[in-house]
Amino acid sequence: MKKFINAPSEYVVEMLAGIYAAHPRQLKYVADDVHCLVNAVPAVPGKVGLVTGGGSGHLPLFLGYVGEGMLDGCAVGDVFQSPSADQILNVTKAVDQGSGVLYLYGNYSGDILNFDLAAELAGFDGINTATVVGADDVGSATADRRSKRRGVAGIFFIYKIAGAAAAAGLSLEEVARLAARAGDATKTIGVALSPCIIPEVGTPAFTVAEDEMELGMGIHGEPGISTGKRESADRIIDRILPLLLDELTFSQNDQAAILLNGLGATPKDELYILYNRIHQVLAERRIAVFHVYCGEFATAMEMTGFSLSVCKLDAELKGYLAQPVNTPFFIQPRLDN
Amino acid sequence: MVDCLSLTQCRALVAAWHQAMIEQRATLIALDQQIGDGDLGITMQKAFAAAANTVPGEQEGIGEYFALCGVAMAKAAPSTMGTLMATGFMRGGKALPAAAAQLDGQLLVRFFNAFTQGIADRGKARAGDKTVLDVLLPASQALSDGIDGGASPAQAVESAFRAAEQGLDATRTMLPQWGKAASFAEKGLGIVDSGGSVAVILFRVLHDFFQQSPLLP
Repeated sequence: MKKFINAPSEYVVEMLAGIYAAHPRQLKYVADDVHCLVNAVPAVPGKVGLVTGGGSGHLPLFLGYVGEGMLDGCAVGDVFQSPSADQILNVTKAVDQGSGVLYLYGNYSGDILNFDLAAELAGFDGINTATVVGADDVGSATADRRSKRRGVAGIFFIYKIAGAAAAAGLSLEEVARLAARAGDATKTIGVALSPCIIPEVGTPAFTVAEDEMELGMGIHGEPGISTGKRESADRIIDRILPLLLDELTFSQNDQAAILLNGLGATPKDELYILYNRIHQVLAERRIAVFHVYCGEFATAMEMTGFSLSVCKLDAELKGYLAQPVNTPFFIQPRLDN
Repeated sequence: MVDCLSLTQCRALVAAWHQAMIEQRATLIALDQQIGDGDLGITMQKAFAAAANTVPGEQEGIGEYFALCGVAMAKAAPSTMGTLMATGFMRGGKALPAAAAQLDGQLLVRFFNAFTQGIADRGKARAGDKTVLDVLLPASQALSDGIDGGASPAQAVESAFRAAEQGLDATRTMLPQWGKAASFAEKGLGIVDSGGSVAVILFRVLHDFFQQSPLLP
């Protein structure tokens, strides 16, 4: 294992200490616990609070989307582990502005257990909560078993659209409706070429042979659709993009937003080689592209690979996606139609 | 034998559960280490210590007291089993009338039914998955059947304890479906479920509690 660390056991705490030191005007923590991260800029009274959470090892997911125009807080777990219900509750209390709090997180059992319990505890404190779970990974289960699908990079679109809706002053119910619509409109698949190493474990949890690739692999190495011989960038896109488009029926007025996400060890050069082919396929299918996000949005430590997400935008979703965002890890100006 | 529990007796019961978790700590760790993380004894001791330190407010009934125990457990022990136990106490407590000052046979049934249902809802496991539910379901059913059939609370608790022990024994032949144990499913054969062992401790202590003199404590 070659990593820039001090002690494996201090990996998350030292990472968080660095983040607070680097971005003191934008991020702070509550309840005397660095894992309970919130926006340092106070929210507008009455704004619906947006809280996420999940394991570490995926930066800028999850905490990187806390900031103006997106999320209000994030409970941070250990590497690939859920935060506790108590930590989620502390974040919830800190961000509630009297209009309730929406929980947005990925479809993993540990997270579900702890967010559900946090919701119950928040109820004791008189805080109304709602939940929308990201389940965008088409590689993790077939469409008829959608509730089993993992949440991966596509949760970015849920954060973005819910964030803009909350900033616009919509009610908890309305923000939840839009978050769920964004989730339904987003499909993702990942491709991995090499594994990652959890600092406290020290060795890879799985392997991908030198001449092979894993289609649909999850961001913790969960198995996906198939293992096969490594192919060219164009061939890989030709194989996976139809899997996403087949589940999203585009009508004439819809446009696509694309999220091409590096998993940690893939150069941006290669992402753009992949995008070159994505652009061609979308043009052939006469699907108009509204915006392309290309870079690292949800990583898996130093895993080599990428994920491709397509979000189908109607006028309503597009309006919220276009709103500006300013967080320490992600900045977006207002997008023109 | 005890017929119904006052708030003071409920607090003594929680203290007895805590004492049992201290005594069983090493056993639970050893059991969990066979196919899990090995932290079960530690988290259960933490969870019940937090419950034992919970002080009910002056106006509170038994239901609110148990719910507060659950809240304290959730904070102290955020492991899967800690979260499930916390949920059981919160749901069980909420199922009781707000002002209940006595836990009689009917309310005991109501508490354990909601306790079990809460854990089923949160954990999303089913009977036969080799989890704590494989003990809680038969035990709370036996408790309910006993009270409905006219048995005294002490008799019904006795049959619930026996059902819990049988339920635990039956988990030996089940394949684990949840958590780390599911990855080593075959290794789990012949071993009782560790979470189920916690539930047996709950009913064993409850049984012992109902066997004692009604004047105590």
